[in-house]
Amino acid sequence: MGSSVTFENGLVALLPRLRRFAHALSRSRADADDLTQVTLERALRSRDQWRAGTRLDSWLYRIMRNLWIDTARARTRRAKFEAPAEEGEHLGQDPRPAMDATLDLRRAMDAMSSLPDEQREVVALVLVEGFGYRETAEMLELPVGTVASRLARGRIALLQMLGEPA
Amino acid sequence: MIDDEKLFAWLDGELEPEEAAEVEAAVAADDRLGALAQHHRRMQLQLSAAFDSVAELPMPDGLRKAAAPGVEIHHFPRARRLWGVPQWAAMAATLAVGVMAGSLIAPRSTAPVAADSGKLYAAADLDRALDTQLASAPAGDRIRVGLTFRDRRGAICRSFTGPGESGVACADGERWQVRGLFAPASGQQSEYRMAAGPDPNLMALVDSMIAGEPLDAAAERTARDRGWK
Repeated sequence: MGSSVTFENGLVALLPRLRRFAHALSRSRADADDLTQVTLERALRSRDQWRAGTRLDSWLYRIMRNLWIDTARARTRRAKFEAPAEEGEHLGQDPRPAMDATLDLRRAMDAMSSLPDEQREVVALVLVEGFGYRETAEMLELPVGTVASRLARGRIALLQMLGEPA
Repeated sequence: MIDDEKLFAWLDGELEPEEAAEVEAAVAADDRLGALAQHHRRMQLQLSAAFDSVAELPMPDGLRKAAAPGVEIHHFPRARRLWGVPQWAAMAATLAVGVMAGSLIAPRSTAPVAADSGKLYAAADLDRALDTQLASAPAGDRIRVGLTFRDRRGAICRSFTGPGESGVACADGERWQVRGLFAPASGQQSEYRMAAGPDPNLMALVDSMIAGEPLDAAAERTARDRGWK
């Protein structure tokens, strides 16, 4: 019972982080919440594969990332036919907290979406989620040097898009 | 010559002390490099702040149910309507526990948490404890400070546990902005809970915020003497 309590508490506690990661990967907020939901469902179905004592967060991030990759092809195909990301999406119902962010979520998601998938996932894990290079490399099963070079390319592209107000 | 990857590794705290010192010296000596480092640092702060705002978006019911099947969800409709408490605060509390803890955010001067312009701040004895109490202080106070650490933006943050709530707050000017709040699980009230050790939810939150190691007792004392800057 002990490990099941830990698993459930952990899942609930990690939900805000997972949802944030999903937004960093996804093109729209609806896609992000869908991705979060299928990740939770997959995690609960596969809970026997998680070993108590190992990091639950890395395990969940890996599930989310793999589900996201699985849908990558369909996503690219669909994107060609979709209208640009939803207009008029607002951050929450109370506008005040949202106004504090100098770069709003919509703009950040658009910028991330324009990165190639392999740069986007590295940027999301390191710059948004705060993982170290080595942890990121382990989650993505990549050499650390590859993580560093993809991160560099993603970062330079993001700075061009977001860095200096035109 | 400092290439981009090395500069970024330095910004990310990924270099060994020797290499870090080398980059630091180069950045200080070269205006162009200094400006580049500054631009990248600012871009990252903006990016992470933008995605942190996801926490303020309303949580779809489907997600709550998917995360905690079988847990009865209690809403806090009054909290937001009356005091402008953002949804995430209610979410943090509901999600963590699935029980109601209505006294947590209340329009009373003794409530430990107060809302201001859509953000939550420590108040009353929580505010006092965060300002003055060292984590190494002997237990016995109503509110106990657990860990003191710096987050990825360099702000001092402290985890706390009281009889009715636990959470993390970070120094924001003269105040403590509450960044996460959990109510005790049902049947885990006060003394029992305090004795039971840190809440796993709280630890997961700290884990997601912390940069480096927590401050030790000496560093904590120094930070307090400098007003938690």
